[in-house]
Amino acid sequence: MIKKLLIVDDSPIARKMLKSCLPKDQGFEFYEACDGKDGVEKYLNLRPDITFMDLTMPVMTGYEAIEEIMKHDKNALIIVVTADVQMKAITTVLDLGAYMVLRKPLKKEDLLAAIMKAQDTLQKVQ
Amino acid sequence: MEIHEDQILTGEEGEILQEIMNIAFGKSAADLADVIDTHVVLSIPFIKIMQVTELPVYIRDHVKDYKKISIVEQNFWGRFKGDALLIFSSGSGKELIAMLQHGQVEMSSFESDPIDILERETLMEVGNILIGACVGKLAELLKDVVTYTPPMVVVERYYTDALSGKQFDADKTAIVLKTDFSFTEGNVSGFLFLVTSNDSIKWLKDALRIFIEQYE
Repeated sequence: MIKKLLIVDDSPIARKMLKSCLPKDQGFEFYEACDGKDGVEKYLNLRPDITFMDLTMPVMTGYEAIEEIMKHDKNALIIVVTADVQMKAITTVLDLGAYMVLRKPLKKEDLLAAIMKAQDTLQKVQ
Repeated sequence: MEIHEDQILTGEEGEILQEIMNIAFGKSAADLADVIDTHVVLSIPFIKIMQVTELPVYIRDHVKDYKKISIVEQNFWGRFKGDALLIFSSGSGKELIAMLQHGQVEMSSFESDPIDILERETLMEVGNILIGACVGKLAELLKDVVTYTPPMVVVERYYTDALSGKQFDADKTAIVLKTDFSFTEGNVSGFLFLVTSNDSIKWLKDALRIFIEQYE
């Protein structure tokens, strides 16, 4: 069951927008990181079920953070949430091991569909 | 002249605007990448409020490392109105021509043109895509509709000359949204500045509040 969600984004507004798109009655635990480096550290400490990852961030980009997380956990479920919807950005993050890409601004239905898909994947892995 | 309190965005308003700018420039980069086979590397947008008279110095501080610059400028107006300045580093025009040719974009109409006209046309086209998609998306997210003047282009001038002709209204406050970019292929980089005056600030504050209410 998906419970722990880590949101990695340098924008507090983007983190707030993502959280607001999720139902309040599912018992999700939210954790937040403000750049890629913080995201990797929190990932390793918390082992969230899903990590939402922005790409353009200070200190460490989302690309670097995905690479680093995948080195430690090949089964990490990382959903990239980005404004950079160039085809090259999408193929790069998928090649790095990201689970899927959602574009900003997020739509509730897209986010819920992504979580349901991730839930299925998680059950198969377990 | 001082900046009045009602002309200043709060911290949260600035963050919302920064995120909207991030989304808007992401859209414009994707639109450009559809035309040119490249990846536009985006930076985190930056927002600053200043007196309009400070603007030329602020822009010059950002472009002073470039030997020469080219500028594509478009005015836009709706409830959100202002000036978009897309500033390219030296040599970007010729690099873009080469990239368009490798991307097999239809260049036959330009073949008989001298290189400076071709460069001007290319910068104008690329500028039109980047500015139009960025400002258009920003306006769309804030429930506004904007129209544009045709782009004006200054090609390969020293930055002091390139900016010297600009007239700024000393009584106005400017909200400057800056994004810097570079292309992974070709030596092309630059800045996009969106400058909107205090005429838009009251509307902008309301529009930002309405935008974020969707996520409360």
